[in-house]
Formats: sequence, C-alpha cells, structure tokens
Amino acid sequence: MISSMPLLEARGISKGFFGNPVLKGISISLQPGRVHALLGENGAGKSTLINLLSGALQPDGGEIAVDGKAVSRFNPGAARAAGVAVVQQELSLASELSIAENVGLGAYPRRFGLVDYKALAEQVKTVCDMVGLTEALDTPVGDLSLGRRQMVEIAKALFLKPRVLILDEPTSSLSAHEAGILSALILKLRDQGIALLYISHRLNEVRALCSHVTVLKDGVVTADQPLAGVDAEGLVKLMVGRDPGDLFPTWEAVLPGEERISVTGLSAGMVRDIDFSARAGEIVGIGGLVGQGQEDFLLGLYGALPGSVKTARLCERDGLFSDVGAANAAGLAYVPADRKKEGLVLPHSIATNLLMPSLGKLTKNGFRDRGAEKNTVLQLASRLMIKGDTGRPVQALSGGNQQKVALAKWLPLDPSVLLLNDPTRGVDIETKREIYLMLRGFAAEGKLVILLSSDTPELVHLCDRVLVFRDGRTVAALQRAEITEEAIVGAAMGLTSREAA
Amino acid sequence: MTTRSISSSGLYRAIQSRRNRGLGGLYIVVVAFLLLYVWLFPGIVSIGGFSKFTQNWFPLALVTMAQALLMLNGGITLSVGPLVSLGAVIAATSMGGFAGTWGGIAAVAAIGLGIGAITGIIVAHLRLPAIIVTLAGSFIITGIALLILPRPGGFIPGWFSDLLAGNTPVAFCLLLVAIAGWKLFMATPAGLGMYAAGENPVGAFRSGVSVERVKVAAFAISGLLAALAGLFVAAQTGSGDPLIGNPFTLNSIAAAVLGGVGFLGGKGTMRGAICGSLLLSVMINVMFFLGFPPVAQYVAQGLIIVGAVAIPELTAQRRKK
Amino acid sequence: MNPVSTAVRGLFRSPPLLTFLLVALVWLVASLTLRGFGAYGHLRYLLELSAVIGIVAAGQTLVIIMGGIDLSVGAIITVTAILLPLISPAADPSGIVGIALALAIATGIGLLNGAGAAYLRVPPIIMTLAMATFLQGLLVMVAGGSAVSVTNASVIWLGQARPLGIPAGVILWIVVAISVLLILHRTPMGSRFLALGANPVAARLSGISITRNTLVLYALSGFFSGVAGILILGMNRQGYVGIGDPYLLTSIAAVVLGGTSILGGRGTYAGTIPGAILLVTTTALITIVNASPGWRSIMFGSLILALLLISGREARR
Repeated sequence: MISSMPLLEARGISKGFFGNPVLKGISISLQPGRVHALLGENGAGKSTLINLLSGALQPDGGEIAVDGKAVSRFNPGAARAAGVAVVQQELSLASELSIAENVGLGAYPRRFGLVDYKALAEQVKTVCDMVGLTEALDTPVGDLSLGRRQMVEIAKALFLKPRVLILDEPTSSLSAHEAGILSALILKLRDQGIALLYISHRLNEVRALCSHVTVLKDGVVTADQPLAGVDAEGLVKLMVGRDPGDLFPTWEAVLPGEERISVTGLSAGMVRDIDFSARAGEIVGIGGLVGQGQEDFLLGLYGALPGSVKTARLCERDGLFSDVGAANAAGLAYVPADRKKEGLVLPHSIATNLLMPSLGKLTKNGFRDRGAEKNTVLQLASRLMIKGDTGRPVQALSGGNQQKVALAKWLPLDPSVLLLNDPTRGVDIETKREIYLMLRGFAAEGKLVILLSSDTPELVHLCDRVLVFRDGRTVAALQRAEITEEAIVGAAMGLTSREAA
Repeated sequence: MTTRSISSSGLYRAIQSRRNRGLGGLYIVVVAFLLLYVWLFPGIVSIGGFSKFTQNWFPLALVTMAQALLMLNGGITLSVGPLVSLGAVIAATSMGGFAGTWGGIAAVAAIGLGIGAITGIIVAHLRLPAIIVTLAGSFIITGIALLILPRPGGFIPGWFSDLLAGNTPVAFCLLLVAIAGWKLFMATPAGLGMYAAGENPVGAFRSGVSVERVKVAAFAISGLLAALAGLFVAAQTGSGDPLIGNPFTLNSIAAAVLGGVGFLGGKGTMRGAICGSLLLSVMINVMFFLGFPPVAQYVAQGLIIVGAVAIPELTAQRRKK
Repeated sequence: MNPVSTAVRGLFRSPPLLTFLLVALVWLVASLTLRGFGAYGHLRYLLELSAVIGIVAAGQTLVIIMGGIDLSVGAIITVTAILLPLISPAADPSGIVGIALALAIATGIGLLNGAGAAYLRVPPIIMTLAMATFLQGLLVMVAGGSAVSVTNASVIWLGQARPLGIPAGVILWIVVAISVLLILHRTPMGSRFLALGANPVAARLSGISITRNTLVLYALSGFFSGVAGILILGMNRQGYVGIGDPYLLTSIAAVVLGGTSILGGRGTYAGTIPGAILLVTTTALITIVNASPGWRSIMFGSLILALLLISGREARR
C-alpha cells in the first residue's frame, strides 16, 4: 500500500502525570482511507493518546501534525478545525433532550440566532440513516437502550463531518446487529477517504476492520505494522510480556481451608449471573479489561451495591449483606481502587484514617479508648514502616504509603476475607513489593484474598487461580498451572482459551 | 417500530408535543383542581375574577421559572425570596424619586441581573456549592433590602399598580410573554446547552458547550426573573416591603418539584414547573376558600416538598425490591 | 526549632484559640474605650446571650461538620418556647415533666429531619427549610398569634437564677459544651461525623452507616435547639411566634467564626464557643454605634460567604 499524506500525526510525543511518564516518545500516523487499530493492555497509555490526538491534553514533548504540518497549540478548538471527532467510551448525551438535539449539540445550524430545527432535522436524518438509527428524531435519548445511545453518540461524531474519526471501544454496549451496522459504516467511511482510529478489545473485530495496527505497551510503541499476516496470538504477544524481575515473592500454595464465600447467580450492577466460591488461604485473582464488571462483583459481595443471588453463603452467613457494616462485622474488608476518593479521608490524619473502621471496637465505657487507639496506631505504623508523626494529614504521604494506610486500616478488625480493588495502581515499585509480600502473608495466615487487578503480571505471579471478566460475566477460570499473561489477555479480549493457548 | 412519520419540518413541533404527552398526568391534575376552584368560586370566570386569579399566580410563576431554570442546570437557589423583596424595595423607592417609573423598572432589572451574575460567577468559577453560596447571598440581599427600606413603605405610581394589578389580565399577558421568552431561549443553542450541561456537564463540555458561561447566564436570568417578580409584588401591594419575598424561596422549590423538576439537574421541564406553580397557586386558593387560615399554606408547602420528593423515591425503592 | 515561634505558629493554626484571643482583645479594647462595657453586669449579660447562641450552635456545629446545614433550628426553638407552657402539666410543680416533653418533641422533629434526609433523599438543607416552614404554619394554627406566658418553675429558674453569681443559663451552656466536646472528640460517633463530613464515600466503604448517623445527627440538633428554646423562654418569660428566628443566622455564623469549615469535615465546638461570644460582642458593639438589622444581616451573610471562599480554596488544594 502506498501511504499518502497523513491527516493527523503524533510525532514522538511524551506525556506524564505527576512525574509518572505515561507515553514515552510515541508516534502514530493516521492516513486517509485507512482504519488504524490501536491496541494495548490496561494502562498502556491508550486513553492518554486519544486525549492528545483530540486536543484535550497537551503533550510534554513531541508534536501533533495536521496534514503534515506541525500545530503549535493543538487544543480542542484546533482539533475541531482539523476535523477530528472522537466517540468516547462514556456517553456525552443529555437524556431529556431528543435525538436530534443531542446529535447537533455544540454545532447547531442557526437562523436568526435560533436553532434552525428544519435544517437540523435534515442534517441529523442524514447521519442517523448512516448509523441505522430508525427511531423518530424527537425521541428523548433517555428512552433509548444503552446500545442505541451509543449509536446516537456515533451519529453525533459524524454530524461534525469529520476527516479523522477516533472510536474508543465503540462496540462495548452494542448488540451484534448494531455492531454489524457499525462495521459496514466504518468501511464506508474509510472508502470515502476518512482516517479512522479504532480502539477495541474485540480482536476479531479489529482483524475484520483494520488494515494497520499500532500496539502500545507501557507507553511505548511495540508494533506499528500492517495487520495482514499477524494472527491473534501474535497480537496478544505484542501487548504482554514484561520482565517481572524480583518484584514478586516466591510462595508455596497453602492447602485451601473451609469455604468462605459461595454464591450462585450473583447479579449486581454490571455483573450478571455469576457463580463463585473461594476458600480460606487462597488468593483469587480477578482480571479482564477495565470496566467489565469486576468492581461491581466486589461491591456486590461487600454489600455496597444492591444485588441479587440464587444462593449465597458469605463467612458462615446466608444471603448478601444489606450494608457495609454487616459485611465488616462478618469479617469482610474492602480496599477501593481510588484511594483518594474512596479509600481515605485525605485531610484527616494518618491515625484517624487508620482507626476509621475500628472506632467502635476500641472503646471503654462508650468513649474512645485513647490508650488502645494509640497502641493500635503505633503497631500499624511500625508494621507498615510509616515513619514520623501519625498526626500528619494522610494527603502528605506518598501514593504508596497512602495505599498502605488504606489497606492497613482493616487489620485491627482481623478480617477473614480481603476484597482488594487494584491495590497497586499508581504505587511505587518498593511499596508494590511490600504489598505483594503482605498479600501472600495473608493467604498463609488463612485469610481469603480476592485480588482485582488491572496489572496482568500480578495475577500471574500472585494468584492461586484467576477469573477473567468480560461484559459482566466470567469468561475464563484459570487454575494455577494455566495462568499466563497470554491466557488472561486472550480471554479478556474474547479469544477462546484454545486460541490463546 | 416508530418510523419517521413526521416530516423534517415538523421536528420542533414533534419534540414539543412529545414533552407535553409526558406531562399528561400533571395536566389532568391541574385541570381537575382548576375545575374544583371554578366550582367553589364561580366568580373566576369573569374578566375581573380571572385577572385577580392570574395576579396571584403571576409572581409565583416567575419565581418558579427563576428556580426551575437553575435546577434544570444542576443548581438551586435559596436567594429567590430575598431577591423578590429587593426588587420590590427598589421599585418602591426609585419610582417616586429621581428615576421615574421606567427608570425604576430598569433599576430593578439591572440589579436582578447583576446579583444573579455575581452569584453565578462565584458558583461556576470558584466551584462552590450553589446551595450554600445562595444561602449566604440570601442573608446579604435581605440586609441590603432592609437598608434601603427598613420598614414597609415607599411609593408606586397608582396608574402602574392599576395597569399590572387592576381588573385587566395584564399579568396573564406578561406571563405569556415570559413563557414565550423562555421558549425562544430554549430554541437557542445556549438554551439547549444549558439543559444538557445540567445533566451531563462533562459531556456537554466535550460537545463544545461553554458550561461555565452557561451557568453564569442561568444565574443572571434567574436573578432577573426573581427581581421582576418583586417589581410586580410591589405594584400589587402599592408599596415595598423588605421581607415580603421570604415565602417565595420555598414556594419556588415546591412548585418546581411539584412540576417534576429534580434536584440533580437535567431532569424535568419548564412547562412542568409552570404547571406546578399553577397547581400550588390553585391549592393555596382552594385552601383559603375551604376556610383554612392563611398560614395553613406554609404547612402545605412543607408537606408538598417532602411529598413530591418522597413519593417517587419510595416507589423507586419499592420497585428495586 | 525555636519553641516560641513553634508556639506562635501553632496558635495561628488553631482557629479556636485565635477566636478566643480575638474575643479577649475586643473585650479589652471595648472596656477601655466604651463606658460601661467592662462592667461585670454587662459582661455577664453578654455571656448570657452567648449561652443561648452557643447552645443552638452546638447542634449546628455537629450538622455543619457532617456537611449539612440545619435551617430549622429557629423554628424548633419557637416550637419549644410556645409548646412548653401549654404542655406543662399543672400537677407537676417542679416543671420537669414539661421540660422533658418539650425536649422529646424537639428531638422528634430533628429525627424527622434526619429521616427525610436519610430515607427520602431530600437534600438536608431543603428538608430542614421545609420543616421550618411547616412548623411556622402549624404553630400559628395550633397556638394562634398571641404570646404565651410561662409558669413552669424550672424554666423560670433556668432563665433567672444566678447560683454563686453565675447565670444558670451560662452553667447550662458549660454542661452542653462539655457534652458536645465529649461527643465530638471522645466518642466513636464524633469521629464518624467528621469522617462522613469530609468524605462520605470513603466513610461508607469503611463501614460507617450514613443512615444511622444522619438520624442521630439531626435528632441531636433538634435536642439542642429544644434546650436553647427552653432557656430563651425562661429568659423572656413568654414565648411567641418568631422568637427563634434570630438564632438561625447567628448559629451558623458562630460555627463558621469558630473555624469550622462550612463545607464539612473539619471543625470543633471549641471554636464555636468563642465564636458565639465574639458574635454577641460585635452585635452589641454595632448596636452601640447604631447599626440596623440590615447591616447585621449583611455582615453575617458576608462573613459566611467569605469563610466559604476560604474553605473552598483549601478544599481545592
């Protein structure tokens, strides 16, 4: 294929947040009439790249070029002027406005300062026909199913008559029929000379639609090549594989003890109809691409998200927990992924945060027992190796130490089940090592650890078994010997385990 | 399957009629209460009776619009009542003096717009909760009204009172003008953007809506409407009273909630809110005719707010179980 | 580090102490410049007035710390002040039964506020505003517009007696202050209020029940408003509609003057105590210089807005 002038290019761009580099000098070039796939694991830097290409973020180094010419300040306005439209994963719709009013939002045709509804109807009808939206244009978006709303979102991007169209996981909530329409549309747009960037975790879609692929891993490009001739396993191999070094402890599986959790038919939030059981002394990994229902699964077990089950036995108790307090009393503890928003009370002191779950326990005659509290805090601080004054606000600590506080605050309750939601996200290497040691230690003590992780090597090196989630269901249950990065990523991407193996 | 039976030129009308259909239940309740009222007080079906009735409704309708506008944009205001008082006080002190009637009207409008815009700037640009900012604002505005006119008094030209609150349905016509103005605004890109930003500010921002500017505009228009309601109240009573607006704060929220406007933004419609204000106005009148003392309306308002929020919430909770 | 500079810096980091110093300074300067200000009787009178505001602000402090604002405190004071004379049984000469009944009603109203916020998800500010309006209407309907005089012996004693030369109201305030400080800083519940105010999501995921604490919180606020209502009744000897109105604004102002963040999650009643005294003192001073109620409203409103701007800036950092 002869490559023509690229419509939009990133040239050696870098971007970091708070000193953590996310993209390290990567280049990508979107050509007219080509569907370009962007692949990568969780946290590889895909979202950051999309934000840079749409002007929502500015690069720290390198440049963005439109039609071969570098643009000095590529902000959202410049992106719009260059004809870049993005279909984001989260919807940008207003549910009480009609389809037409949503599609045209931000780019309404006007007459005498008012929205020209006649012109709007005609223009919206054109793009709705393209995406196969047959609903009346006056339908409020709130009346549509999630899949139909996604199609409205795509129509909204097309309404801008883009030259470059970026689609971030556009099919995640679409039915097979809708996905088929979208595929045909993408090929048609390609033939009209539009440059498309397609991000998806459905490898078979990628292979059917795209002719070129860029693979990101840890912020660098590991492949930038035509897709022809690369098979699915080859793609998975390009995304995974990092030398873990001595990051992970060596451990022996302990003999699983009594059953701590056993649920059948659990549905909560995104999660649909899951059967699951786990025993004391296990670390059960939960993997999959971000947002496939893993978090809702943990929250459902924890009583923080209302759900339903056929049968449930949690820590010798029947049924789901009605609230978090009941779950804590039964011996469950939960460490959330977003420690700043959900795990810690940032302006409060380290000591206050460490004592939060055990306040009711450390009392004497109904009053707080200062002595017992002090001892508890001292013990935890020494166990965590947090030096200095525990009266400092917890926000003064590094990310790693904050995470240790969010985890350690549960220890005074001596929980028998730990539900951990991505406990090492944004944590430095040294703290990661400590956390891994702690986790295996918990298992050795006979606790049950359920470890949700977006970091695949963690699942491989720490877990006794791994469940992989996709679209709110478990698509693979891997035993110790079967756990490899390829198997996890392959299952997450929708390959059958046979293909990935 | 719903096909596109409507021609493309009818899109605007189709959207409007669909919104009306969604409010069918509310319309029926409002009509039922109106019929009850006509039955209790047949005098309403005369020019004079209709005029008086709409004059009682008019200020409530205006403050409800002022409130609903902000609630639809994801905010709320607790300074509606004090702004009504301030509008009344400014009208009563300026019209007889240097400014004249028209100057007084302009002064009320300018102050309402200005105070609304300042509040909006604080809320939007400093990212502070609207409910607390407007609570503090309500104290300041009340204070200003008390400084301008410490006790009821002032002067409103007789012809002006007669024009607005006489035996002609001028107030009703003005309400129609206000509603037409709102419909016009909601047909502009800014109006639709304001609505979209109420429910999904991030999405609206990504779609190119200037979310902060829209919010400041919403507060400014809201302030204008509340101050004009004060102007009308001053004309109605023939004088200014620095505390006359106080009941309007809760009234405006009650009417908006009764009309289906939600606390979380982007939920509900202005026509629903206006129906809510009509319903509340009729309820107060009916209670009056049934012999309840005037203060009973306070009891009713408290119950209406809690009920209007509670009933949907309870049904939703029951459905979940 | 230099111990003196550390102490000075610690002082400026402690809003309660700062407010106390401000009060001392204002009293000193006013006593030296204004005739009669420094007289024992006048200062005692200021403290008596502060006691009322301080007791109302006790509940308000807890509510604001947990991230809400109780707009019904004024109405609950009025309810207590009007109902107490009516429900005090004549058969009980001590008047204790009447006080207990009135406090139960006040606490019950607070509990209803909490139930509306917790179970019906009405925003607490709206819930308490609706409650205030409701009570205002109900009172006029039940009690009529006229004032009721109190004959309850305990209430009169509370409002008038001065054991050891100290007004009984001030003693009551001391008792309330100790209880609130204990609740806030020495019980698990106080820590839960603080955690819920600073980060409700994290608190909930740590097993702290939002529902239960909201109920207790507003019940406490109702209770303290009831206590204040009884004290006001004793001092005034009669209750009437509107008697509690001035205390809404002053209670909020006293709380924020004491350094409690109006956005919740940070604060202490130890700051509200000098906050109430400072408020009463400045009000007395501006009354001397003949400031109108308008100026007072502007002053309090601006104060709340200014402290909101400061809290907001700190919260964003």
